[in-house]
Amino acid sequence: MRILFKCAVVLFAVYIALLAGLYWAMRQPPSVFGRIMSKLPAVTFWVFPFEPMWLTARKGNLKVGEMAPDFALKTKDCSAIVRLSSLRGKEPVVLIFGSYT
Amino acid sequence: MYQKYKDRAAFFVVYIEEAHPTDGWEMPSNLKQHILVASAKTFGERDATADTCVVRLGIHVPALVDDMQDSTERAYTAWPDRLYVIDRSGRVAYKSRAGPYGFHPAEMAKVLQRLVPPSRAAQGPPAYPRR
Repeated sequence: MRILFKCAVVLFAVYIALLAGLYWAMRQPPSVFGRIMSKLPAVTFWVFPFEPMWLTARKGNLKVGEMAPDFALKTKDCSAIVRLSSLRGKEPVVLIFGSYT
Repeated sequence: MYQKYKDRAAFFVVYIEEAHPTDGWEMPSNLKQHILVASAKTFGERDATADTCVVRLGIHVPALVDDMQDSTERAYTAWPDRLYVIDRSGRVAYKSRAGPYGFHPAEMAKVLQRLVPPSRAAQGPPAYPRR
């Protein structure tokens, strides 16, 4: 009985350590997190509460009501540079962030 | 949604760092769909992938490309995908939760609806003839 209890405690401690490790990884820059995830088995998604952890880890500092950080980005064809602040006072702006994969 | 609101709001796709590149966290679904993209080393490479993405996915929204320092991605915690609405005064009116779980265009549309003037079609004909 005692041994079983000890095993359970050790397993629990390992689980918590892995959980903390995964959360730390989620807080790293995307390329670092991606590299870590590529080495972990798919079972990671099932063993850990991945979704709530991700949503918390990637909450970000920007809040509704705050000034949106300005940017000046090239259009895809490099024909122009769009500055967010140049649209101020004109119309609302919708930003759809994403990539191909 | 873009077709519905494009005359009353500015839409931009911001192409950021790949989520599942071949040299990173590749997904089985990428292999299945033959979407194999290595992470860009130069802005030219990133821009080329952005172009492929926009063309293959048939995206009509104007696309911007994040710089190689990923400054916009970092400022908006945007990776792997995320939606924002910025109001006329330049403030954040809507911020989706982090994608892919938090990516819900319908939720965003509700906020956008409040910010834009009603479309001409929705206003209908004037209630009385104008002189």
